[in-house]
Amino acid sequence: MKTYYKLLVFFIISGVCIAGFMAPIDFIPGLGERARNLFFHVPMNWAATIGFIMSMVFSIQYLVKKDLQYDIKAHAAAEVGLLFCILGYATGTLWARVDWGTFFKIDEPRMMSLLLLMLIYAAYLILRSSIDEPEKKARLSSVYLIIAALTVPFFVFIMPRVFPGLHPGSADDTQSPGGGPVVKNEMNSTMRVIFYTSSVGFVMLYVWIYNLRVRIEKLTIKKLRSITV
Amino acid sequence: MESIVKFLLDNSRVLVMLVVLIIWIGIFGYLWKLDKKVKKLEEPD
Repeated sequence: MKTYYKLLVFFIISGVCIAGFMAPIDFIPGLGERARNLFFHVPMNWAATIGFIMSMVFSIQYLVKKDLQYDIKAHAAAEVGLLFCILGYATGTLWARVDWGTFFKIDEPRMMSLLLLMLIYAAYLILRSSIDEPEKKARLSSVYLIIAALTVPFFVFIMPRVFPGLHPGSADDTQSPGGGPVVKNEMNSTMRVIFYTSSVGFVMLYVWIYNLRVRIEKLTIKKLRSITV
Repeated sequence: MESIVKFLLDNSRVLVMLVVLIIWIGIFGYLWKLDKKVKKLEEPD
């Protein structure tokens, strides 16, 4: 990664941290000042979703070309995606504690769908670590990641909007019907600038961490090969 | 000192922002250092 890229990530996310807490925001019914969580929670989940889709693309490439480089990339994309999903979930539970009075609600579709998604990708990591043979590991992991990624649109976009719940944008949400403050664009121009800048910043951060993970994995394999030869 | 404490009590958002910034600077520093280390290991012997 180039130095200017890393510095750009630093300045974008630092700017989002400052503006996200200090800039005046518009009043969104049902959210108020708590809407500031949008600048961190949603971009983190977007980065995770992009990561899960990337892992599916690399898995398909592996199954077509049988090149282990794609397996390494698919694994890194899923792993870093899970990290961002956990961070997105953590910011969501903190917000829920303030807004709903509890960290976790079992009957909340958005919470349950993201939890299930995290469990699916955590199971992938367990499956992968349980197989020693590299070819078999790569083949099984690729098939698993493709099937796992097929559940992403359902868990992220469909389920939380079809079922009634407390999360903004749920089926019975009367304050921001039809998708919540992000989809409905109920944000003023200042909020939108911070939100979209944050989305770009977190995706760039994801790409940096993903790049690091791939390089570390390649170095580990190289080292293991040099030991066995 | 008292005025700073009063300012932070009245503006808790500033305090949260400072904590978040410190955490982010720590994460960024760690990633920067890790990137440098990986780059060094990638160089041919």
